[in-house]
Amino acid sequence: MLSEEAKKEIEKALRKYPNKRSAVMDALRSAQKARGGHLEKADMDEIAVILEMQSVEVNAAAAFYTMYNIDKPVGRHHIQVCRNISCSLLGAEHLIKHMERTLNIKTGETTPDKRITLSTVECLGSCGTAPMMQINDDFHENLTEAKVDEILKGLK
Amino acid sequence: MVTVKINGKEITVEDNTLILDAARHAGYEIPTFCYQADLVGIGSCRMCLVEIEGQRKLQPSCVTPVLHGMAINTETPTVMSARASMLEFLLANHALDCPVCDKGGECELQDMVYKYGPHKGRHAEPKFKFQEKDYALSPVIIKNSNRCVQCLKCVRVCREVVGANVLGALGRGDHQEETSFFRHFLDCDQDGNCIEVCPVGCFMRLPYRYKTRPWDLKGADTICQWCATGCRMVIEERDGVLIRSKAQFGVGLNSETLCARGRFGNDSMTRAERLKTPLVRRFGKLEPASWQEALAVIKDNVPSDGERIGGIASPRLTNEELYLFQKLFRNVFGSANIDSSARWDPDAVEAFIKAASMDAGGVSVFDCMESETVIVIGSQVSDENPVTDYIIRRISAGRRMNLVIASPRAMKLDSSANLKIRHTAGKAGALLESVILSFNSARVAGTGGLEDMASGRLASVTSEAGVDGEAVESLARKLKSSGSVAIMAGTDFLRFPEGIAKLGLLKDLLKSSGKKVSVLPLLDRANQRGAWEMGVHPSLGPAYARAKQKGLGTDEMLEAVSKGALDFLYIAGSDVASMYPDEGVATAALGRARFLVVQDTFMTDTAKFAHVVLPGAAFGEKEGTFTNQEGRAQAIRRLMHPPGKAKPDLDIIRAIGERFDPSFGPKNFVLALDEIRSGNRMYSNVSLAFNNKKNSDNRLDSKEALVQGAGASDLEAKEFAQKPSAESAEYPFRLITGNHLFHSGKGTMRSETLSGLLKAAVVEISEEDAASLGLKNGDRVRVKSKDYAAVVTLRTARGSKNAHAFLAENFEDCPVNRFLRRGEGPPMVSITRA
Repeated sequence: MLSEEAKKEIEKALRKYPNKRSAVMDALRSAQKARGGHLEKADMDEIAVILEMQSVEVNAAAAFYTMYNIDKPVGRHHIQVCRNISCSLLGAEHLIKHMERTLNIKTGETTPDKRITLSTVECLGSCGTAPMMQINDDFHENLTEAKVDEILKGLK
Repeated sequence: MVTVKINGKEITVEDNTLILDAARHAGYEIPTFCYQADLVGIGSCRMCLVEIEGQRKLQPSCVTPVLHGMAINTETPTVMSARASMLEFLLANHALDCPVCDKGGECELQDMVYKYGPHKGRHAEPKFKFQEKDYALSPVIIKNSNRCVQCLKCVRVCREVVGANVLGALGRGDHQEETSFFRHFLDCDQDGNCIEVCPVGCFMRLPYRYKTRPWDLKGADTICQWCATGCRMVIEERDGVLIRSKAQFGVGLNSETLCARGRFGNDSMTRAERLKTPLVRRFGKLEPASWQEALAVIKDNVPSDGERIGGIASPRLTNEELYLFQKLFRNVFGSANIDSSARWDPDAVEAFIKAASMDAGGVSVFDCMESETVIVIGSQVSDENPVTDYIIRRISAGRRMNLVIASPRAMKLDSSANLKIRHTAGKAGALLESVILSFNSARVAGTGGLEDMASGRLASVTSEAGVDGEAVESLARKLKSSGSVAIMAGTDFLRFPEGIAKLGLLKDLLKSSGKKVSVLPLLDRANQRGAWEMGVHPSLGPAYARAKQKGLGTDEMLEAVSKGALDFLYIAGSDVASMYPDEGVATAALGRARFLVVQDTFMTDTAKFAHVVLPGAAFGEKEGTFTNQEGRAQAIRRLMHPPGKAKPDLDIIRAIGERFDPSFGPKNFVLALDEIRSGNRMYSNVSLAFNNKKNSDNRLDSKEALVQGAGASDLEAKEFAQKPSAESAEYPFRLITGNHLFHSGKGTMRSETLSGLLKAAVVEISEEDAASLGLKNGDRVRVKSKDYAAVVTLRTARGSKNAHAFLAENFEDCPVNRFLRRGEGPPMVSITRA
């Protein structure tokens, strides 16, 4: 079941678009937020009913984007490190290894205390400030090992 | 017109032609995976890349239209190496398990790699796998995503053509998988069009799995037997077993589409229970006999008085068989008592033929779809004629037009309609009258009394039809503003003949208002139109010419048999006991028949009453022609021989005739067709030559197959009174019937695959009604009328008219004709939790 709050957010999003199905990404984001970071089958079924779409269309939209985590619960802080060309050239791979070591998890895993999930993504459109990563909704740019350590320390 | 150079050859094509089509037209081959003429182009597979002089990059020819003066090269080294590279990428993750893949031997990827591909890959990385094991998506579809080439044809055909929209592309790039919601079982039409369009072994038919290799199959290019759409398909057998039926791209009006019945229903042909020998009743028991014996017994029992003889032939026999059948009755037996339907009143049929102008010759569905307004009325087209539904959906999406659907039940095609009207079942006449009055309202405006009369009548018929005035007005407005109108009128007009007169009236009114009007009958039996045009009708001879003498129809024949006024009844292929709309009346009459001959492929409920049973041939075991609902005469082909001593029906009818007149003929189907051509004006141009022709350029509409007009006609349209239904609070639902999506008559119940999809009866009511009764989809419910009650499974439909229950006429465990009563309107039933 979608939370009342998520439903209200979807209602609000609907008003922004000429037709209902256009609100699918907003709806998925609200549903993901309501569930604490990931989406489940029931959410998509419910969104499909609200937006008058087929469930599989909602699923396809969600599966296309890395920002939706289908059936994959994430920690309170979801770190997404860009490993596209600019970031890689400026040391993203090195940073990823460093974070894996520090957090003692592999890419794609969550710390046992459900605090942090580490994953990698394709370009997030911030090549000018590479290397960079996104934690939940925020960008962290021009990263260095020291800066990463400081950020990780700040994640409660 | 645009002139372009392709590989140095100058050609002129129409504006906006795609480079791909232009090149193919000029005789150059361009390989594709994702291109399909009837789907919206997406240019995703990059196999069709071509070089355009003056452009630095290669361009996808399947989405690039030609421009004047373009110089296009399709076979340069750059193009060839691009093709090879694309194939190398596709093979990078492709499973390459050809030896165990069902598609092996007819795989487009295999063919293309053989022709264009690098014969050695350079990818050393481990292959990405979606899953280790194939998984079933439905009872008929099995999936192996590791072989996918991401052409998205399955997703597009599901959305754009079938309208089910249950497949999606999940993920992206080479990890994109075309599948169902969470890979769950599909709740869809099960028509397997996704299998058909799949170029590789990703979507596969479950019934075909591991059975054979395509090169071991023997095929015949024929016409489907399960409805009157007239889809062309290839049926294939191995070792005497029908293995599969498939459509062919760019061939027939259906191109690469079929419905579940067409694709999976033909396995009934090679069931072991087929009748293999004639049976003669001896001491109350049907026992095997030789043809000689059976024919001798028939000869001995045919009365000399033609009036005491009756015949009912199935609208699934071929034109030649039906022609010979009526010839046998009219010329040899001297009987006018023949009919081709167990369900329809012959007078209603005549009125319908007149209202739909069927005597004016064939009408192409593609021409109808060119109209500005198309009205579908009296037909559950998505269930009854699924491929007609595909054609309507595909064409209506591509052009600006009005699609109006009038039906008590919601249907899949609703999503393509601009206007949906939900009228009370059997009230299509009232609905059409209200549309006519509304259309004409301007003419009586300001006339005082006349206007009051018209508006009073309008209010009363609108409420009788159970629709709101706004919908009627909206339809009338659409008609007024359209220069051309097509009306697709279905079999509900024959179930409720009181609406036929209004259908004819609307047609005449629109014509007299200067509009181009075409009427397309939507019929549910493969050769129903052919049966009528061959003259298997008590008052109409071949080409709708009035017969010299008016005979009895099915209903009157059954009554005459009951009263002892008819001694000899010959039923060819028709299951009267289970299809006549009152089982009690039919079985009582058949039980009382003095002599009953039944010719069929299976031991039907009707055959159980017979004195002689003759084993006939299934549609894949004989040659002949079918005339579809549009009036296209198309050839069916023999693939196998009938089992045991069974014979093609033409030979059986002829053998019976020869017992009375040794010169009775024609002797075979070619001669019979010749005789039809020379005697029946509508069929004078029918030839088998065009039936053999492959369509080029994806032109699906072969107009030369359409039958001609019959010339001056004297068809009569009787007025029909509405039959009463006893309405009461105890039985709130009006029970309506028709064919289920997976079934056609009782024949498809013999198909293992289709009865696997749905065998037990289901009753459908609207979601709202279900909610108010506290019922939900899948519940077991008791359907009860004043005469009969049965427990079946409930299906709910969103958007259907309330207080209507739909029970298909196909089920063995809950025959709808136990609810129906002769002389009564639709039965009223109650639905309660079982």
